[in-house]
Formats: sequence, structure tokens, C-alpha cells
Amino acid sequence: MRAPFAILALILLAALIGPWLIDWRYDAIDWDAVRAAPLSPGHMLGTDSVGRDLLARTLIGTRVTLGVALAAALVSLVIGVGWGAIAGWKGGRTDEAMMRIVDALYALPFMFVVILLMVLFGRSILLVFLGIGAVEWLTMARVVRGQMLALRERPFVIAAEAAGTPPVAIVLRHMLPNIAGVAIAYLLLTIPQVVMIESFLSFLGLGVQEPMTSLGILLKDGVDDMDLAPHAMLLPAIVLVALLLCLTRIGERLRDRFVG
Amino acid sequence: MSLLVARDLSVEIAGRPVVHGLDFTLDAGRSLALVGASGSGKSQTCLAPFGLSVGTASGSFRLAGEELIGASERQLRRIRGMHVGFVFQQPLTALTPHMTIAAQLREAWTQAGGPRPSRAAMEAALERVGLDRPVERLDQYPHRLSGGQRQRALIAMAIAHRPKLLVADEPTTALDAILRAEIMALLSRLCREEGMALLLVSHDLAAVSDHADAVAVMESGRIVESGPTRAIVDAPATDYARALIAASPRLDQPAPALGPVGAPLLEARDVSVSFRKPGWTRGRLQAVDGLSINVAEGEAVAIVGGSGSGKSTFARAVARLGPIDSGEVRWRGALLPDRKAMRPRDRAGVQPVFQDPVASLDPLWTVRDIVAEPLRRLRPDLDRAAIDERVDAVLTETGLSPELATRRPSALSGGQAQRVAIARALGPDPAMLLLDEATSALDVLVAGTILDLLGMLQRQRGLAILMITHDLAVAHRLCHRIVVMDRGQIVEQGPAGELIDAPRHEITRRLVAASRPHRVSD
Repeated sequence: MRAPFAILALILLAALIGPWLIDWRYDAIDWDAVRAAPLSPGHMLGTDSVGRDLLARTLIGTRVTLGVALAAALVSLVIGVGWGAIAGWKGGRTDEAMMRIVDALYALPFMFVVILLMVLFGRSILLVFLGIGAVEWLTMARVVRGQMLALRERPFVIAAEAAGTPPVAIVLRHMLPNIAGVAIAYLLLTIPQVVMIESFLSFLGLGVQEPMTSLGILLKDGVDDMDLAPHAMLLPAIVLVALLLCLTRIGERLRDRFVG
Repeated sequence: MSLLVARDLSVEIAGRPVVHGLDFTLDAGRSLALVGASGSGKSQTCLAPFGLSVGTASGSFRLAGEELIGASERQLRRIRGMHVGFVFQQPLTALTPHMTIAAQLREAWTQAGGPRPSRAAMEAALERVGLDRPVERLDQYPHRLSGGQRQRALIAMAIAHRPKLLVADEPTTALDAILRAEIMALLSRLCREEGMALLLVSHDLAAVSDHADAVAVMESGRIVESGPTRAIVDAPATDYARALIAASPRLDQPAPALGPVGAPLLEARDVSVSFRKPGWTRGRLQAVDGLSINVAEGEAVAIVGGSGSGKSTFARAVARLGPIDSGEVRWRGALLPDRKAMRPRDRAGVQPVFQDPVASLDPLWTVRDIVAEPLRRLRPDLDRAAIDERVDAVLTETGLSPELATRRPSALSGGQAQRVAIARALGPDPAMLLLDEATSALDVLVAGTILDLLGMLQRQRGLAILMITHDLAVAHRLCHRIVVMDRGQIVEQGPAGELIDAPRHEITRRLVAASRPHRVSD
């Protein structure tokens, strides 16, 4: 269990403070070192096809990808918990109607929806994570609703009702705190999914825009330039895979612990 | 020669000893009950030597001359398969949900090395354990069977290979009183017919007294007293055994002293509750069918019935804590509003205590916050300091130290948790307590002390009580009046003494028989 935490912490730390520790900015071009090989002087990991330091770009790209993922996951948390809590608490017809809407949204080809949003409203990071968050909340809503339904019949909830606690307070003070563990576990499982989606959108050229970068863009550039500089996609690929594995592993552990 | 000989048997779990050097023997065809409170190590004693628990056993445990301690998993499996049948406490989870009864029975048969059984043989096996309509049952899945029916099916599987020893670990604890008596009688009969020895584990000395030849009373991993059942029940030598016997509620005890009864308090008229049937069917299940009940000030009334009789649904509907289709409820003459429209002052009069003490406390809250919650909501006249003072007072009244107030429910024992739940209910000074099987999830010693506490509160505070239970003996110990329910109907009601002495309805008779040990009459 320690290894995923340690690796995740390392990546987070590098993304947060790493960019300040190296001499090159992510968008600065070193005209003397275009497509420099790894371990060349001044560029530990070499440079890309226009002479930008790859280490600097990877660090910034990781930061952007994680930022987008976290923001989108939080959006999905807010919508998902809110939706699921209302459906699970109200029950009956309200629950039926709300969950059928979730089913309908599940059926949409959501990548298509995100792309459509991009085309309609222009490309911006804000839109990327809003769009992703708005479709990633479905699983969260289902999980929260299921937990609420189970909690609603628990004696301590009925005892709170007998104690004269109003319904809103029962939900906020008794029920939601008791599903927080499960919700956080699913939040951690949502983050790797969003990382994947963001990388994919950026890879298609629909996500983050140059000269700003993300892991997806770095991979795309690396793939484009694979013949001449195969090292360019190596570090972003390693970081992405490590990130996905660690987050999934921690999330699954937490989920197993809380869901049983 | 004895079938089972345990010498200096010890069990430890993760390095912590839970059973210390037990000696006992069990002859073929005889029965031995290990009795003790929870945590006394009785289950470990009979499961660990067979490799069926997390504990590791040491010492000597010989079955039919073969040593089980130190035997390999393979040998243990062979010995279990040849000689031993097991019946466990949880009939709901001990059957595989996706296999029919026939498939599971066939598996039990062939796993034990027997030939593939014919349908007729399996029908006969189910018939033997008293399962009704065995022909249909064979093709049913476990979810179609009730708790008692599942326990019968499990017993059929346990004895399929004609074992020499049947190990029954709390076989009736999860069942209601009528089923308890029936299942215990079934186990006794089967052991007699097959010449099987029975190793029985139970927390209830009175319940096993009819069915075991010998008893070993266990306390914290040691046998404190053992001998023939009658000798121990009639003249226990140790305080612990005496406490175990006294704690178990019995119908032949004298009627308890109860407080005086006053003016009408709660009057419910024509209460009906129905539930939508599961699945796609349109029908509704009538759980409670137009019932009425009255409770006066200071009166303790019990609603008694088997599982699924609708008693809990009825009581919750009356207390405005569950769904209700129709019917009116008056509190001191005034109509109570619907569940959703109940104002805090309407709630203050009735406070509930539920069956599972741990599930009825919010696991994230401290004891102080839990007990203070109804005070904060129902007693706006109290300020923070006054609430703290009252919390300490009710904790003391229920026999708890106020120092417990900073703990969370996970750090409480079952008995302590139930006392916290009672303290919470007493906080706002209710006129009536709703006790929903408040003692049936606790082991017999703890349940006895909780019943004593409730009786004392009833007398001292003049509390009215509406109690739901499947156990007539519990109702007898605490209540003036008993209402017997079956399938959503009230079938009989009357003063506790009269109803128990002269039961008129079939269900009442069965409840009385289930709670009255046969040994007294023979």
C-alpha cells in the first residue's frame, strides 16, 4: 500500500514545485539545442522539435493534467453527491425519475458530447473540465443514491427522526458524513478516468492549447516526432501510466474498505 | 470409549489466548452444551480444532481416536467429511444464493464421499427435517425460504453423510421464539434417531436445558462448572452459572412488580399499512390490517408475534416512525399529524429503542452528541450547560459512567451501546418508550441486565412502554398487557398473566410452549 502513495506523492511534489527548480521555462525555446538528446548539457531529458526543455514541459504538463482532473472530479463530486443524495432521500417517484435521467445520460456517447461542447463554445481549459465533470458524475450519483437508500432504513436515522431532527439536518449531519468515505474512494477512482479523457482530448487537439501543455499534448508531440526523437514521449508516458496505476490502486483499496 | 476427548485444549487468535486448557469428553450418542456469554470462547472451542476459525488450537482434541490438533488441512477435511456435521447461527448467509436446494443438498452428499442421491432420497431428507412441501422446495433457491426453513435445509445438509457428531453453533439465536423451540426439538430428535452426538454452543442456558445431557459453563476461556444438565440448572455451584440461569426470562417466574396504570395516553384506531410487492407485480402486501391499540400512562404493553407478523411495522406506524396507509393516532386525546408534519413537540412524548444497539447509534458521533441530539431538538428551553448536565444525569441513570461520553459507538460493548440508546430515549423525558426487540440482539446476561434496567425505569419514572418482541417470556417480565399478532392481525390480547395461563389462540399456545421449558412439566 505504501508504494502507490509514495509514487503519487513524488509526482504531486514534482508537479507542484518542480518547474521552479529548473532553468528552463516550459515555453522557452533554446535555439542552440533543437531535438537535443537526453543528458545533453543543460537539458537533462533533451528538448523537443522546437527546442523546448522536455523536463520543464513534462512537469508543467503533469501539473495541468492533474489540475484539470482534480477540478473535473470535484465538479462530478458536487453534482453526483447532490443528485444521488436527493434521489436516495426522497425515494419513490422522484428517485425513479432522477435515476432514469442518469440512465439516459449514461447512454449518450459522452466523448461526442464533450467534442460537441468544444466546437460550440470554443476551446478552453475551463470548458474541458466543466464538460468532463458534467458527464463523470453519473457513477457517483448512483453510488451515493444506493448508500442513501441503505442508510435511510438504519435505526440511527430513524432515531434522529424521533429526536425531532429535521430531514435536511438528518441528511447533512447523519447520512452524508457516513457516506463520505465511499464518496472519496469513488472520487479517487474518477480522477484517473478524467486524466485519461483529458489526455485523449488533448491528443486529439481539442483540450489544452499550445504553448500550454499537458501529458496528452506531450504524448501527441512525442508520437509525431517519434522517428527523430523517440525519447520525447518516454517521460510523459511513464508519468501518465504511474499516475493512473497509483490513483486506481489507492481508490480501489479505499472503496473495498468502505464498501466492504 | 468416548467419541470426542479434549485434553488441555487451548485456542489463540493472533497470539492472544481465548481458550485456556479445557478438558471435556463427549460419548457417542450423547449431547454436551457449551454455554457462556459472548466472548467466553465457546464458539472457538468447537470450531478451531476442526480448522474452521481463525484461531489456532493446541493441546489434544481426539475425535473417534484420531488427533485433530496438528492434522493437515487435507486430513481435517477428510475427518470433517466423514464424521462431523455443522450447523451455524446465520441461516440467511450459510446457503449459496445461486444454487437450488437440490443442488446444494446433492453437493453436501457427494462432497462427503457418498453416491449421487436420487430425488426421492433428497425429498425424504427434507421431509425428515420437517420442511414443508419438500418436492417444491428442492427446486427453489434459498431466497424463497424463510429463516426457519433455511435452517432446516442446512440441518438436512449437515446430516446428509450420517456424521457421528453434529456441531451446532448457536443454531437458533437468529430465529424467533417459536422457531427456536421447533429447531431445538428437531436437532434433539435427529440425534436420538441417528445416534449422533451433539456438541451445542449457546449463550442461553435455559434454552439448551431440555436438549443437552451435560453442560459445560464457560467464562473467559475456561470451564467454570460442568456436569449433568439437571444438576447445574437446579443447583448451580458458581455465581456465574446462577447469573446465566437467572438472566434468562422464563414464564414460570413470578409476575414482576410494575408501576400503576393511569389515564389513556396513546390511542390508535384502524391502522393499516401495506407495502408494494417486490418485482413487477402490481399487488400490495397488507402488513397491518386495520388494527387498534391503546396504551395508558405508566402501562407496559407488549406486541408479541413471530417474524413477519407485522408487529414492528404496526408499532412504528403508531409512533409515526414508519409508513402508514390509514388510521388515526391520538396522543393524550389530541390527533397526531402525519409523519412528515410531526413537529418536535409531537415527537417528545415517544422515544424509540431499537434491536441492534450498534446500528442505532451514528458511528461518527460521540456518545455525548448522540444523547444530546433529542435534547437539543426537543427541549429548546435548555441551554448548552443544562444539556450537558442532563446528558450526564441520564447516562448515570442507565448505569453508565459519564466518562464514556467522549467515546464513539465502535468503542462500546453491545450492552453499553444499548444503554446509550436508552439514555438517548430518556433524555427528553418521554411519557412512553417504544422498545423494538430491544434485548433480542444481546447475549443472555446483558439482555437480563437491560430488562432489569427497563423494569426499574418503568417503575421509577412511571413510563409507558410499547414493546415489540417475539419472546413471550421477555414480555411477561416487563409488561402489564400482551397483544399477540399474526399475519397483520391481532389474534388475542389480555393481561399478561391471564393470557399466559390460559392461551386461547393457536399462535399464543405455540408462543407459550416455546417459552416454557419442557423439563419443568415432566
